[in-house]
Amino acid sequence: MALVPFRYNLRSLWVRRSSTLLTMCAIGATVAVLAGMLSLQQGFATMFAESGRDDLAIFLRNGATSEGESGMTREQTELIKKETREISLAADGKPLAAAEMYLAVRRRKVTGGETNVAMRGVEPMTFQVHGDALQINAGRIPIPGSDELIIGQDLVERIADCKIGDTLVINVTPFKIVGTFRGKGGYQSEIWGDLDRLGEALQRPVRSRVIAKIAPNTDLAAIEARYSEDKRVQPKVQTERSYLQSQTQVLSITFTVLGIFLSAIMGLAAVFTGTNAMLSLVSSRTHEIGILLSLGFRPFAVFLAFQMEALLLGTLGGILGCLMVLPFQGAQTGTMNQTFSEVVFAFRTTPSVMLIAILFASLLGLFGGALPAVRAARLRPTEALRRG
Amino acid sequence: MNQPADIEIRHVTKCYSRGGQTLRVLDELDMQMAGGTFYALMGPSGSGKTTLLNLVGGLDTADQGEVVIAGENIAQLSSGQLARWRANNVGFVFQGFNLLPVLTARENVELPLLLAPINRRQRRAQAERALELVGLSDRMNHKPSELSGGQEQRVAIARAIATAPSVILADEPTGDLDRVTADQVLELLQLLNQQLKKTILMVTHDPRAASFADKIVHLDKGKLGRIDDNPTRPATAGR
Repeated sequence: MALVPFRYNLRSLWVRRSSTLLTMCAIGATVAVLAGMLSLQQGFATMFAESGRDDLAIFLRNGATSEGESGMTREQTELIKKETREISLAADGKPLAAAEMYLAVRRRKVTGGETNVAMRGVEPMTFQVHGDALQINAGRIPIPGSDELIIGQDLVERIADCKIGDTLVINVTPFKIVGTFRGKGGYQSEIWGDLDRLGEALQRPVRSRVIAKIAPNTDLAAIEARYSEDKRVQPKVQTERSYLQSQTQVLSITFTVLGIFLSAIMGLAAVFTGTNAMLSLVSSRTHEIGILLSLGFRPFAVFLAFQMEALLLGTLGGILGCLMVLPFQGAQTGTMNQTFSEVVFAFRTTPSVMLIAILFASLLGLFGGALPAVRAARLRPTEALRRG
Repeated sequence: MNQPADIEIRHVTKCYSRGGQTLRVLDELDMQMAGGTFYALMGPSGSGKTTLLNLVGGLDTADQGEVVIAGENIAQLSSGQLARWRANNVGFVFQGFNLLPVLTARENVELPLLLAPINRRQRRAQAERALELVGLSDRMNHKPSELSGGQEQRVAIARAIATAPSVILADEPTGDLDRVTADQVLELLQLLNQQLKKTILMVTHDPRAASFADKIVHLDKGKLGRIDDNPTRPATAGR
């Protein structure tokens, strides 16, 4: 079957460029909403997924889904550190493992209002466990046992009293800020201090987790199974990567569902806009349709021609939508994560986000163009020629 | 189909519904037209001229009867088969030229050739030949809006002959043209008839336009009035 030449569609869109542009904008705005939500989701998900490591194991209380829910005694965490033979050893022969305490605490924002900030009590070994993935960018590491804190670099400009030299009062205990640090993912949105001193200030004498460096290809399920028989402690064991991924699941789903919901509503409007534009386009070109049919082009070829035009409009709208969100690439924003603490992450419009957005827009174009294309194809040549 | 094509209309009836009333536009019409002849189709408004032209061109279908072109009854063809048949056998020339405004003269002429089993180079060569034949080789890359009315109609004629159909159907082809330009277009049709042996059926109200035809068919209220030979037909050569 011979097709109507594509240049006919291209030039027709160009000739009617005002209505083409308006339709593209309607589709583009819809797609921008979807791409925006997906970019937020991507930024949030990749922040954790990229930072999570497979050579670090996280030990939580059995049944806990996050550090906030987890609680173990000092004896239990010490036992895990000493008796888990899969944990790698430091140069001095000590296990590369550290107990940590985690709590989200209400703090004042620089811009006004309050938000929850994650506080993490750490041991000196914590820094060795993380190795190069965690770096002090200014100041120094707190002296063990002191009332000193270091601040994740994403919080410095967002939370009050978080600059080096400031004093941060936790409950009634003043802590001195002695450094800022850079780490992958959510750690950059935390405040770290000595495990015992922070636990005392926060009146939280329990440990939330043990983080440990493990040998490659360690079977964590086997460790968990072994401890399940131990009456002293039955930890839940997982890699840091899978732990962090599980922490973003709810918010990732929220972003995705919200994006789809908003896009569905706006998409419906865009389909109507597209249909309306295409109907008026078909109506204004009824005579041309009559010419094509009278020359011997089959109705299906005419249908395809108008569907191609709608598809092109949709795709161009999709590209426009992506262009609308690209300027926000890398922009940082904050939100509450699953443990109700402030995390800062960047807007990430990835190639896959753009591909999804453009595909979505193309589908909008196809749906919007279907009815007008059918109408064009069903015209009788004589009727179409007469209407011109 | 490159041989002159005879046209036979057998007991053809065509009705239209307008405002709740049924209009019998063609009423059991019978007529025969010899292949390779230039016919002018005349008659008062509503006599069924354009309807007959549309039936012969396969743009519309008869309610009853047979339309036989070169031995093939096209009244039996489906809409898809009719589309293919139109592409192979008929060239149309309309009063309003009916060119696609966004395409150039050559692209317009190439349109029906897209339906023929030829490659791009052949398509382009055939389109250029057709445009040369109508004297527009210097206007190939112009869009319709950049051409005069006469030139537009000549592009339409080039498009009509590009696929070498044996039948050319023209509906008031000079209705929108001044007299000098109209004569040029009519001479061109006459030339196609005489040199390429095209069967031409031209609807016209204008006796002067009809005078270029070999025969003049008079329709009246959907029936054949008479077919006259045209003794006044001017010779193409030397005009």
